[in-house]
Amino acid sequence: MAIRHGLSIRTKLLLATLVLGLIPFVGFEYVREMENFLRAGQEQTIIAAARAAALALHDRPRLLELRTSRPRVPSPDQAGTGDALHEPDSVTVGTSETALGDRPPRRGSDEALAEIELIIKAMGRRYSRIWVVDQQRQLLAVAGSLRRNLAQDPLIPPPAEGWWGTIESTVLRPLYTRLLAPPSEDFDDALPETVLSGGKEVERALTGIPASRRRHTSDFRATVLSAAHPIWSGDEVVGAVVVEETTNAVLSLRNRAFEHLLTVTLAAFLLGAGALAIFASRLSGRLTRLRDEAESAIDARGRVQHLVQGSNAGDEIGDLSRSFSTVLERLAQYNTYLERMADRLSHELRTPIAVVSSSLDNLRQKNLEPDTSVYIDRAEDGLKRLNTVLTRMREATRLEQIMREVDRERFDLAQVVSGCVGGYTSAFPKHRFSISVPQQPVWLFGSADLVAQLLDKVVENAVDFSPPGESIEITLLLRDGDAALSVANVGPPLPETMQGQLFESMISVRDHAKDGKSTPHLGLGLFMVRLIAEFHRARVLATNRSDGKGVVISVVFPQAM
Amino acid sequence: MRRIAIVEDNEVIRENYADALRRQGYEVAVYGAREEAMRAFRTRLPDLAVVDIGLADEVDGGFTLCRELRAMSETVPIIFLTARDSDFDMVAGLRLGADDYLTKDISLPHLLARIAALFRRIDVLSSPPKHDDVLTRGPLTLDLKRLTASWNSRTVDLTLTEFWMVHSLVKFLGHVKNRDQLMSEANLVVDDSTVTSHVKRIRKKFAAIDPAFDAIDTVYGMGYRWKEG
Repeated sequence: MAIRHGLSIRTKLLLATLVLGLIPFVGFEYVREMENFLRAGQEQTIIAAARAAALALHDRPRLLELRTSRPRVPSPDQAGTGDALHEPDSVTVGTSETALGDRPPRRGSDEALAEIELIIKAMGRRYSRIWVVDQQRQLLAVAGSLRRNLAQDPLIPPPAEGWWGTIESTVLRPLYTRLLAPPSEDFDDALPETVLSGGKEVERALTGIPASRRRHTSDFRATVLSAAHPIWSGDEVVGAVVVEETTNAVLSLRNRAFEHLLTVTLAAFLLGAGALAIFASRLSGRLTRLRDEAESAIDARGRVQHLVQGSNAGDEIGDLSRSFSTVLERLAQYNTYLERMADRLSHELRTPIAVVSSSLDNLRQKNLEPDTSVYIDRAEDGLKRLNTVLTRMREATRLEQIMREVDRERFDLAQVVSGCVGGYTSAFPKHRFSISVPQQPVWLFGSADLVAQLLDKVVENAVDFSPPGESIEITLLLRDGDAALSVANVGPPLPETMQGQLFESMISVRDHAKDGKSTPHLGLGLFMVRLIAEFHRARVLATNRSDGKGVVISVVFPQAM
Repeated sequence: MRRIAIVEDNEVIRENYADALRRQGYEVAVYGAREEAMRAFRTRLPDLAVVDIGLADEVDGGFTLCRELRAMSETVPIIFLTARDSDFDMVAGLRLGADDYLTKDISLPHLLARIAALFRRIDVLSSPPKHDDVLTRGPLTLDLKRLTASWNSRTVDLTLTEFWMVHSLVKFLGHVKNRDQLMSEANLVVDDSTVTSHVKRIRKKFAAIDPAFDAIDTVYGMGYRWKEG
């Protein structure tokens, strides 16, 4: 199997799903826009609220004139900055000691103050605080609270029920809390003296210009938006109305939008990624199967199988599979052509060889000078070699014919092997043969002659490769109903790449340059071994010896009953 | 003078064989096509015919010629000399009544030896057998002059190649003859599997007369041996 480098299609497609990450980014930008818009809206609203309250107090000298006669309050720097007015829970009138701290009591104006109180209370907005100051920056009245009561807020949806609620509360909520930092209602809502007297918006309002500003609470837990509007009495500014609100409402709206966005994109991402992953898996699965099939389409014996995977599919993989099949078919035809080639070649060459040999024979009959006959000898020598080549080539094709006609019979493989090895000892005197054969008969069904021929070829091969004097081991083993015949020889090991092809027609691993032997090799010997083995439904394996010093060729026959 | 007809479409081979045979003192007539040869045969039968199977356009022209010639004469020796070496062709040729089937690998001396042997067989068929020319091994009798074999006094119709193979096996009883030896004694240059199929055919011919025949023993990896009954 080929090793694939780089990323698989699956990984690549999964990487492509990261593009979905753009969705939350776009959503984020959108929510930011919305937040800005809401903030602007809130600002406009509280400016309007301040104006409305101020208008309600316009031209009511009675209410504020009292104040003008009053002595000036201490300047802001005289008052401690931390010495602030703590807002009471309910609307209070400035006469309260606790509320006003060390400020001088405002005598004789209770009625007026109560009226102001009433007016601003009527103007009051939810979660906003309205207060009124006079020219001396004296706080005249305060109404409302900055804190929101979350339990009653209609803007905050109740937690969902069921499994979704569980997911939301156990997974999403903690995640969002960590990511978004929800606005806290637990802030210091004290009205510091600096705000009261030194606030820019108050300053400007008291000079007659409406203004607004944004500030943090003293503990920096929340941002407060405040708008101030002058109260006119005729042409004179007699005081200012200040409306304050935290930005918490906008923040929580923004957060909710974010949460929604995150939930939706998370879902979309998971869904999209899941779909793509399934698609990618299917795709790469099909391709992998196609690859495996293509790899095994040409089996160890060189036979070409048809591809099944995706052959009916209408997409590109189907196309690929079909064109693979076409290529393999052509390859198979070419293989057949090559195998037949030997047969045709030997047939076609025989006539010209007959011409040459009969001419040489005739020539020899003439009275020749001795030096001429040398050349005839050489020509005949070459001819003999050529004939050997042809004979070997024919052998393979003849073998195929024989196998079509031969009668199968039961025979004892052990006896055949022992007989053959006896013959080899005299046929190859330069080599030693060691044999190990079971005592009991090993019955096979087939042709003893053919098996003997198989063993001849394997042993010839072993002899050719092993140096003289070395021992060739022939072993017959019984193994789970199979008879394994193996021939091991010392010699050069097989090249890795050739191990599967060795038994194909015309394949030879012999080094032609080095071995100057006179017998030509066509790589047909082991091809014949394969043919005979197939005839007996046996498997042939060529492996290197475990000690790496040579080669073992084994043929595993199924035993006859 | 013996008259030999060569029917062969390749002119060079034809002339080469003709030259060699003429040198041996035979009279040789050469023909390149079946019709031409048959016309000549109708006028005068040759003493021996060497025939190629593929003749010009006719793929099996030699087979047809052999059949026609055999119809004209029961005894004229016919030798197929062809490039085709499949068992199928060999069996077909011998069934048509040819006396031998040779492939073109055969060398001229071998061919001449065979032709001489066939003529010798014709010569001695009429004369009574001399004792020293007969080899007897149990039920087997080989007449070395006539090149005929008999088993239990019944004639076994062996071709020249088959006869020489049997002779080689029985000459020294008990000796194992390997394929190469059998080939050289039969003046044959063929591959191992051809020897195997020759031996198989010999066995069949004997078995046709005596179903219990099993005198030829296969010694795997070495060759064959004639078992003494």
